[in-house]
Formats: sequence, structure tokens, C-alpha cells
Amino acid sequence: MSIIAIVALAIIVMLAGGFYVGRSRAISAVSGATARLHSLPNYHGYYVAIWTGLPAFILLAVFGIFGTSLVDRLTASELRRDAAELTASFEEALAADSETLAVMEALAVLRERSESAAANVAELRSARGSDRDPARLEALQSEYTDLVNQLATAEEVRLDRRNILRDAVLDEAVESAAPVRALAGFELMHSPRERRQLFLADARRIATDGLASRASPELDAAASIMRRHASQLRNLVAGLAIVIALGGLIRTRSQIAAAFRARNHVESLVTAMLFLSSVIAIMTTVGIVFSLLFESLRFFSTVPLTDFLFGLQWSPQIALRADQVGQSGAFGAVPLFAGTAMITLIAMIVAVPIGLLSAIYLSEYAGPRFRLTAKPVLEILAGVPTVVYGFFALLTVGPAIRGFFAMIGIEDVVTQSALSAGLVMGVMIIPFISSLSDDVINSVPQSLRDGSYAMGATKSETIGRVIIPAALPGIVGSILLAVSRAVGETMIVVMAAGQGANLTANPLESVTTITVQIVMLLTGDQEFDSPKTLSAFALGLVLFVITLVMNVIALRVVQRYREKYD
Amino acid sequence: MTDTPLNTPADLPIKVTARKVTVSYSGKQALHDVSIDIPDRSVTAFIGPSGCGKSTFLRCLNRMNDTIDGAVVGGSLTIDGQEINDKTIDPVVLRASVGMVFQKPNPFPKSIYDNVAYGPRIHGLALTRPELDEIVENALRKAGLWDEVSDRLTHPGTGLSGGQQQRLVIARAIAVNPEVILMDEPCSALDPIATARIEELIDELRENYCIIIVTHSMQQAARVSQHTAFFHMGHLVEYGSTEDIFTNPRDTRTQDYITGRFG
Amino acid sequence: MTDTPDISPIRTAVSKNLGSRYRAESRFRAAGLAAVAAAVGILILLLSSIVSGGLPAFSANQLHLTVDLDEELVDPSGERSEDSLRRGSYSRILQNAVRTEFPEVTGRRDLRNLFSLYTALNATRLMDEVLEDPTLIGTQYRFTMPLADDLDLYLKGMLVDERSFEPQGTLSLDVSDDGVIVRSSATDFRDLASEVARTLRARATLLEVDADMLAERAEGLSGTEAEDMLYDAELNRRQAAEIRARLETEAGPIALDGSLPSILVESDGRTVLLTDLARNGAGGTGRFLLGSEAVDGESNWSLQVIDTPAERRRVSDQLIVWTRALEARGAISAAFNTYLFANADSREPELAGVKGALYGSILTMIITIIISVPIGVFTALYLEEYAPKNRFTALIEVNINNLAAVPSIVFGLLGLAVFINAFGLPRSAPLVGGLVLSLMTLPTVIIATRAALKAVPQSIREAALAVGASRTQTVFHHVLPLAAPGILTGAIIGLAQAMGETAPLLMIGMVAFIADAPTLGLEGFTEPATVMPVQIFLWSDGAERAFQARTAAAILVLLALMIGFNALAIYLRRRFERRW
Ligand SMILES: Nc1ncnc2c1ncn2[C@@H]1O[C@H](COP(=O)(O)OP(=O)(O)OP(=O)(O)O)[C@@H](O)[C@H]1O
Ligand SMILES: [Mg+2]
Repeated sequence: MSIIAIVALAIIVMLAGGFYVGRSRAISAVSGATARLHSLPNYHGYYVAIWTGLPAFILLAVFGIFGTSLVDRLTASELRRDAAELTASFEEALAADSETLAVMEALAVLRERSESAAANVAELRSARGSDRDPARLEALQSEYTDLVNQLATAEEVRLDRRNILRDAVLDEAVESAAPVRALAGFELMHSPRERRQLFLADARRIATDGLASRASPELDAAASIMRRHASQLRNLVAGLAIVIALGGLIRTRSQIAAAFRARNHVESLVTAMLFLSSVIAIMTTVGIVFSLLFESLRFFSTVPLTDFLFGLQWSPQIALRADQVGQSGAFGAVPLFAGTAMITLIAMIVAVPIGLLSAIYLSEYAGPRFRLTAKPVLEILAGVPTVVYGFFALLTVGPAIRGFFAMIGIEDVVTQSALSAGLVMGVMIIPFISSLSDDVINSVPQSLRDGSYAMGATKSETIGRVIIPAALPGIVGSILLAVSRAVGETMIVVMAAGQGANLTANPLESVTTITVQIVMLLTGDQEFDSPKTLSAFALGLVLFVITLVMNVIALRVVQRYREKYD
Repeated sequence: MTDTPLNTPADLPIKVTARKVTVSYSGKQALHDVSIDIPDRSVTAFIGPSGCGKSTFLRCLNRMNDTIDGAVVGGSLTIDGQEINDKTIDPVVLRASVGMVFQKPNPFPKSIYDNVAYGPRIHGLALTRPELDEIVENALRKAGLWDEVSDRLTHPGTGLSGGQQQRLVIARAIAVNPEVILMDEPCSALDPIATARIEELIDELRENYCIIIVTHSMQQAARVSQHTAFFHMGHLVEYGSTEDIFTNPRDTRTQDYITGRFG
Repeated sequence: MTDTPDISPIRTAVSKNLGSRYRAESRFRAAGLAAVAAAVGILILLLSSIVSGGLPAFSANQLHLTVDLDEELVDPSGERSEDSLRRGSYSRILQNAVRTEFPEVTGRRDLRNLFSLYTALNATRLMDEVLEDPTLIGTQYRFTMPLADDLDLYLKGMLVDERSFEPQGTLSLDVSDDGVIVRSSATDFRDLASEVARTLRARATLLEVDADMLAERAEGLSGTEAEDMLYDAELNRRQAAEIRARLETEAGPIALDGSLPSILVESDGRTVLLTDLARNGAGGTGRFLLGSEAVDGESNWSLQVIDTPAERRRVSDQLIVWTRALEARGAISAAFNTYLFANADSREPELAGVKGALYGSILTMIITIIISVPIGVFTALYLEEYAPKNRFTALIEVNINNLAAVPSIVFGLLGLAVFINAFGLPRSAPLVGGLVLSLMTLPTVIIATRAALKAVPQSIREAALAVGASRTQTVFHHVLPLAAPGILTGAIIGLAQAMGETAPLLMIGMVAFIADAPTLGLEGFTEPATVMPVQIFLWSDGAERAFQARTAAAILVLLALMIGFNALAIYLRRRFERRW
């Protein structure tokens, strides 16, 4: 059993002990006449127990959450220190390598030229009147593209050379029997982020006697360092936890007296805990707003806000590398907004009639038996995970649409289209609309129905002329909530809408949405701080703002409506 | 209780005839064998303690019990000699000719004009806008509301005062020119002045309609009605001219009730 | 009652257009019913398409081979140490085993083809079995492994269209220099020959129509585009002409190729693939895919036609023949697909399973439960029972309502920015996944708990307060126990939702390919893992067709879990429901 588990057990024992100590000390303080105590003996017990256990457990929890990454960091920095010599000699080699120098020089020149070419292009693009020269612009643009490609090649050459040198340094180090830890550090330092993670994860597995994806002396070395750090940290935390628990026990025990207001203390602690819990909800919102804002601001420092909001072209892949900051204008989000709007519209065209009509049917026409069987069906639709809907779109709906259009003579319809995503999303939204409008319709007072029936209106007349108009604000609110839901839906569109950032009004083409692009940008290889990655946060911010505004309006409308008939 | 109604008023033509009407809600009987003849062009009041079945009987007259799940109506009910519980009688047609006013004013969330025009519109009674305007104006005039609202017909009906709302609802009911008007405690939510206004209105409407009103106020029954029926625990105990019932009740239960000994 | 009661004007007026009003009524009613029916129908369609897609994945065709665990191959250094056993050539052992099944296969390419009956990853499985039980070394061991995914699909009838014929005549196979000459004493091949000719003719017509269309379109255009089109048209015409020439002028046999159905002649352990079909339908020439002996006057034979042309399928005729032969020898049998549950993810569909994702889901849900339930309940208690009604609590309320409608992917962004980048927690870990899902589930739990607390009548609180209980005592001793069932159902529904959530987990890297299930223990929380819905997403993207069935099967597993959760919620609601 790990030491942490033992400590946790020990703290539980101490906690129980604390309860007992507090209680019995309180009783003995008044020599058994508990009526003279300010608080019941149990509260004295709770008081001691809380101060014994709570801080120590918080420490353990923090260790549980952050312990691993702390150990990783300690290990990595130690390995890096061990590899200092190797790194130095590698850097030396780099600096001395004529080929690298040549490439670097060429890179600098190319960069300069490409920058001036970009400036020329921009200048020409904004030119007016007689200065306008499409042919020259085209030539300049192709020159620029050419330069960018050359830059990419040169960069590749540089990296290749760097790798060769790195391998050489490594070979030499192995030959001269350099310490394994230095090799490990070197390997860790010079691998990409993903590999680094994997390296550390493997080392951790070896350190905990788990199954690593591979074995190497370097990994073993890293694992032994990791083991050392982990056990040191564990012991430290364990000791600290025991000390804190004991300290709490001793301090609070000494406070117990007949007049001690243990109950008030305990209750205010409980209240404080409850309050802190409710602050977490606020913290979450604050966290969302700040993380989105912070990263978005960094994005907007390289790509102007107007370009982002009004640009017509979205191709973030161009700006894959750091030296190609997205001035190329590939971060125009309009195609994403348009795609999102189109899919949402299709979804609403499906969901609003079906959802609304079934809510009306179930609440106004259906008998109780029918209602009891049909409602759960809608609830099941609501409970189906969206990834399942996505698969349904991919497996059934997409091919069906394609087959249908092929049948009526329209060939080359893609399986992943706005239509397929929109239809399936509509299905997902149906239960949402029907349950919300069911609530709304049921809160229309019976007296209005009676009034209408007493005038000799039929059911559909009553529904169409009295109930719907009366419920309209609530229904609009529900639809707004549903729209916000559709806008933020991710998996269905990721799986069914395709990825082409087409600016099109044709629902049979594949389109892309805000959420799809966030997923595309943040899965797979990513380097942090590149505009490509940061743009995901800008998109997230847009998404958050859109949905927030719609929710606030919708909730207001629905609430007003409720108040009207309450 | 005999099969024939008690003390049938002879001087007026009979509009509504009930024979052995029973009602049960989900098996629980709320009305037992009610037989009554209600004359035309007069006001008939239903009185009785709470839960005795007044509203239930009233709702039989325009088949509003149909809208309640589990309500079963038995016996025979005729208006102008025509059986209304018959399958061939359409509740829509029946309800168009039997208007109803509820305890709490329930104007639709529409404009005053649209509220009054509701009946004529759904039944297709007016073919042109001027025709409809005329119907609306007439109904509002009859309900004594025209002078107060003629300048704000497009305002929402829910924005009127309680008494005005109740008159609006009455206007809505008479806009289709029904034969019978049922009123279920139409004044219980109103202050005395508004109540007086409505009572006046009822008295005017008596000229043209058969009006049946449920009330908890003895004074009101005495003021507005020509005939009064006393219900007790689902039974019709006594029925006769209002004067007789109030001055000379035959049944001790009636006497106890109107003298305020129970109820 | 009189026969003709004098009908009042209003009744007449209303009766006039009653018919159309009732028609409108029934139209509306029908529309409502249709809407409900549509919702129900869609659900049925959804479930049935997933069930029918997923059921085949629950069975797997297994290949049973007797492997010779030769000491030299298994234990190269002969010391029986784990290290030495791990260095054994298990793939050689497996290869030897299939080679004994088909000793006639020799060429390098043919052998490679033969070894694709199973995936090479099975060598590791064999090694594990040997490591487990070293006494197997030196014995003949019956090893069971899953058949390659495409062949598994083939045997399930999901990959190709095929049919077989019982021929009339007797068969003779003569081996010649040009291959095997196949002859039937009756005209058993005549229908096939005319069928093939028809197919070819139709193809030629199609090419010509295409060419005409291209030429027509090119007329309206100019420049290189038009030239390209004309060129394509010309190409099509030439191909069509070639086909027609082959069919109409030559009297000789029709050559069969990969674009046409494969015709297999099977007889007693031999299989011949026809490469030429004689016009008269008496036979043709071909080559042996199995066996090699000539035969004469054989009456026990059959014709197998694989209609899906070889070009358009992922398995060759040769592999199909081997598979059929193995099946005929009893070396292949279908069984419940245990790999689906016993294995974690794999690049090979036949070995891929949901175990890793299931463990990941369990670990993630543990974190979610530990965090979201207490915090959610505490928040609700605070808001409902303690909080003064002021600006701040109003803010919390509004905030919770809005948080409930924030798109889940935004929570993923939060997790990425805060937990991973700012706090440095490991990517892809159930710990972070659980944290993100907790924040996402929090509003649901809070809202459900508040509803449950609201449902506890005020009188209970007043009664407790009246006997001198403090507010905390009232809440914890009286209100909370009464609200517990409601809280529990709300929490379960929220957690079920979290269990099906995918998008936020993609943001924090739980989307990587992970071949090992995480440890079901403390370390597991920080190991890279994935969860069920993400596994579904990953598989749905899989290039291999077999992943499609696996995806549907994984969905069935996930849905079963969620139905279980929801059934529990419903049970609890029924069991403890209290009406005041
Ligand atoms: N929709 C219903 N479902 C079941 N029972 C009902 C329903 N409506 C009325 N009842 C029952 O029928 C009986 C008569 O009710 P009714 O409303 O006719 O009384 P009432 O005389 O109008 O009383 P009040 O003066 O209070 O309005 C009561 O016992 C009541 O509980
Ligand atoms: Mg009543």
C-alpha cells in the first residue's frame, strides 16, 4: 500500500480520535453535566474532527491532482541539468556547422524577401485607380507563394541538418560513455511536445512498475529519477499532512471548554463550505471568460479583429508555422458563421414543426395512456449521446441523402453535407423543443381554454387562436434556447458536415462550423501560441458570446412569460 | 322528489328542460336526477352551498363537461325541445347558441376588438369587415362597454379593469347572438360598483335572452332573478319563483340556507 | 319532442360551415399525430440502424491453428528466462502454422498474401500465452486468433455479393502451359458467358454516352478546358471501341479481369479461377488457386461466382479461396467476440476492443462524481436554504442558469487553457476529463437538487426550527434526507449525460490512440486514456470497414450503460417518490 493511502487512513483514524477527544473532553470539562455546556458534546467532537481532518485532506487532494505533474517537472528539469554538457556541445556544433550557418543565412534572406514581397502584395492589393494592376498582383503573389515555399524547404533543410548534428552528438556521447541520464535529458529536450509527454508517461509507468510502450536505458534512468522525486514528494506530503492533522488536533483540543461555542463554529464552517461551493459556479464562468479572452486577445494581436469577423476566407493550415504569422488573411471566419447558420437553420426547420406539433398533440389531444408512452420516446431521443447522432448521420442519413439525390438525377452529392448534419441535428433538437414548449403550453391557464371552448371553438381553433398566441413568448424563448443549443453542438457537425470551409448557400455541399473548426484546430499536432491554435479560442469566444446572449434573452422572455400566468 | 319539476313557471315559454340529469366525475357522482324547466327571456338563479353541483349542472347546458376527462352525463336535457346530449348535436353548434361567462374574467390575450370578434370570426358570421365592426360595436353597446372602450379597441383586453373585463367577456358571449347565457358567479371577483353595473346589464339582457346565473349572494339572486333553484349535495331541492323561494320556502334545507344557518 | 324544432338563426349560421371547420380540425390533429409518429419513427430508425450495424461485431470468426512451439524458435538462448522468451520468433511460428495448412504456397508475394489471413499482432498474443504457461514450449499447441477483419466480414456476408451454382455436367481439368483448361460436359458456363458479354456491352454503351456528353459540353466552351474534355471523350470512345471489338469480332474466349465478376470452379480441394470464358459455355481456362491436380469426369463440383469485381473489394480471390478452404477444414469457427471486451483499442479492427475506453470512462466518471455531486449539492443547499436574497446570490443564480446552456465544447477550452496549460496537469488524463465534465455537470446537479429541496414542504423546516433545531441541523437532519431521492435521480441523469459527452474531451487530448487500458487504480487517473464516446468517434473515422460495425457495437455498449443509469434513476424516483 502506498504511503499516501496509509497517511489517509491515519488521518481518518485521527479524525475519529479527534471527534472522540473533543467530545469526551467537553463532557469531562463539566464533569458530566452536559447541560452546562454551551453546545452539545457532539459538536465539540465535530469541531476537533474537522480541524484535524479537513486541512490535511485538502493537502492530500492537492497532491493527488498536481503531484504527478510536479514530479514530471522536477524530473524534466533535473534531466535537463544533467544534459547541460551535451546541450552545450550540441549548440557548439550547431554554431560551428557551416551548413547550418549557410542555411540560417539563406533563411534570413528569404524571410526578408518574403516580408517585402508580402508588403508589396498588400500595397498593390489596396491600390486604387490606375495603380491597380491585376497581372502584376498575380505575379507578385506567385512570387510570394514561391518564397514561402522556399522558406519552408529551407526550414526543413535546417531541421534535417539539426537532427543530423543531434544524432552525431548523441553517437559521440554514447561512444564516450556519457551518463545515461544526460542522454535521457538530451532526448527529452530535443523531442516535440507530444513525444516529451509520451517519454515522461513511459518513464512514469516504468517507475510504477507498469507496462511502458517501449523500454530503453534512457527511460530507465528517467524512471529512477522520477521514482526518487516521487518518493521524496510523497514523504514530504505525508509528513506534512500528519503534522497538520496533529497540529489541528492539539490546537482545537485545547480550545474545548464549557463555554466554548462549538456549535456555532461548526455551523459557520459548514456555511462557509457551502458558500465556497457556490462560488465555484461563478469561478467557472470567470475561468471561461478569462481563458477565452486572454487567448483571444493574443490571437487578435496578430490577426486584426475585423479580418477575423468579416474575412471571407478560412484556411488556418497555411499559417502552420511560427514564421508565417497569419497576415495572409486566412482567418476570415465568415464561412464558419455562414456554415453554422445554415446548419442551425436546417435543424430548426426540422425541429420546430415536429417538436411544437408533438408538444401540442401530446398536451391537447393525446389521452393519458398515449402520453405516457410517447413522452419517454422523446426523452430517449434527448438522452442519446450526440456522438451517436453523428454516427447515425454518417452511417444512415448521409448515404440516404446521397442516394435520394442520385435517384432524382443529381449526382456527386457528398455524404458529408450541411443537409445531413442539419437534419440529424434537428432530430436531436426535437425533444428539446417539445419538452420546453410542453411546459409553456401547459402553463397557459385552463380558463382561457374554457373561454374559447365555451364560445364554440374547436380544439384546433382554440389552439391556433388562443393557446399559441398566449404561449408565443414562451415558445419563442424555447426556440431561442434550442438555437443556442444547435449553434454550440459539436459532434454531429464534426462527424457529418465535412470540413470544407465553403462559403456556399447550397445545403448539399459540405460546410464547416465554428465548433468543427475548434475541434480541428485543437486536435492533432498543435503547437501552442501559434495563431492557428489561438484562433480556436477566438472562435470559442464568439461561440460563448453568441450562446450567452441568446440564453440571456431566452431566459428573460420565458421568465416574464411565466410571471404573467403565475 | 317527483319526476315533474316543482312549481314550473307557467307564464313564459320554456327554453330548457332537464329530466333526471346525473353527472359523475371519474365515478364519483356529483349530480343526482335533476329535473327542471327553465323559462325563456328571464333570469334564473342557481343557489346552494359550495360543492352542491351548481356549476356542474350549468356546464351540462353547453356540454362543457365534455372537455373534462372522466365526466359522464346522464338523463335528458333539451333546449327548445331538442335533445342536447344527443350524439347528433354538435357541441360546437350548441356552444355557439349557449354562451357562458365564468367566475374569473378570462379575456384572451388579444385586443378588445379581437376578443369580441372571436366568436363571429370562428363561426364565420361576418363576411366583411364593416359587418364585423357592426357586430362588435353592437355587442359592446349591449354589454355597456362601448362608451368606455370605443377609443381603444386595439388595446389588449387584459389591460381593462376587472369589472370591464367581465363586461368584455359578456360582450364576447353575446356577439354571436346566443339563445341562452350561462353565468357562473360572474360577480364574485368584482367590487360592489362593478357588480351593480353587471347586474344592471343582466337585467337589460333579460329582454332577449334566457339567462341562468349561479350566485352565492342571496341578495343578488333576489335582485336579478325571476326564478330561483336551490341545490344541495347534488340534488335540486326546490325550484320556483324567486319571491316564493325567499319568502316562503317549502323545504327546511332551503329555509336554513337562505336564513344563513348553513352553507 | 317535435320533429322540426324551430332552429335559431345562430345555429343555422354556425352549421353552415361546420364541415370545413371539422376538416381543418382533423387535418391539424393528423399533423400533430404525424409529428409524434415522426419522432417515434426516427428513434426506431436510429436504434435499428445501430443495432443492425452493431450486432455483427459481437461475433467473430476465429482461426484455429496448430502451432509448433519449437524450442529453438520460442527460446533462442535456451535459458527459459522471460527475456529470452520475449525474444522468440513468434511470428515465424504462426507463419509456419499457416504454411503447413497450405504447403503449396511458395512465392514471396503469395506468402505475404497468405500471412494476411491474420494480423501480425497475434504474435504478441501467442507470446503472452507462452509467457503465461512456459510448459507449452516444445508442444503442438492449438492457438486461436481472430481472422483478419475483411475476411471476417466476408464470412459474415457483408463484403461481397456471391452466388453458387450446382452444375449439370461433369468436370474435367487439364493442366496445360497456358493454365488449367476447364471443361464441363454440359454447357454449364453458357449463362455466365452471356452475362459477362452483357456486362461488357453495357459498359461500352456507358462509355459512349459519357463521351457524347463530354463532347457536347465541350462545344460550349473553349480553351484548354474544352480540349481536355474532348480528349477525355476520345479516350472513352476508344475504350468502348476496344470492348466492342473484343466482344463482337473475335470468336475466341472472353478474357476475364478484375473489373468483372470472379468465377471459381471448386471440386474436392481444388479451386480454379477462370481467366477466360469460352463463348460456347462449355468452359474456359483458368489457374489454380488451391490444389493442382488434373481431374476428369468429376461429377462432384460447383461453380462459385463472386459478383463484386476484384477491383472493387478489399480481399483478393486468393484470400477468399483460402478462407473458404480453412472454413471447410474446420479451422475457422464463429464465436462470441471476446476481443471486443477484453482488449483496448488497436489499429487492427479484429483486435480492437472497448476495454480501455470503458476503464477510461469509469475513471473519468469517478472524478466527476467525487467533484460534481458534493459541490453541486452544497451549492444548491446554500442557495436554497442559507443564502440571503441579495445581489450576489441573484448573480450566482443567473450564472448557474447560463452555465447550464454553455456549449460543452467551451468547457473543453476552459480545461485546455486552465487545467492543462496553466496548472500543468497531464493531457489525455481521466483526471482532467473528470474535472472538465464536473464543471459541465455542475449546473444540472444544482438545478435538480434545488428542485428536490423546493419540493420538501416548508412545514417540515418550520417544525424542526420550532423544536429549537439550528438551521444547519434542520437542513442536514430533516430536509436533506427527504430530498435525497430527488437529488440522487438528478445527479444520475447529469452523470449519464456526462458519460455520453465527447466534445470537451477532444479538447483536452483524450482523443489519442491508446493501445493500453489505463490502470484501474490511483495511477490510472493521470495515465493517458480515452472514454467510450470518444472511442466511438475515433472508430467511426476508421478506414477499415470492420470498424463501422465495431463503432455501432461500442454505441450499443454505451447505450446499455446509459439505459442502466437512467433505469436506476427511474427506479429510485419510483421507489422513494413522495407526494406531499
Ligand atoms: N373536474 C372535476 N373533477 C372531479 N370532480 C369535480 C370536478 N368538478 C367538480 N367536481 C366535484 O363535483 C361536485 C360539484 O362541484 P361544482 O363545481 O358543481 O360545485 P359548485 O356548486 O359549483 O360549488 P361552488 O359554489 O364552490 O362553485 C364537487 O364535489 C366537486 O368536487
Ligand atoms: Mg361553482
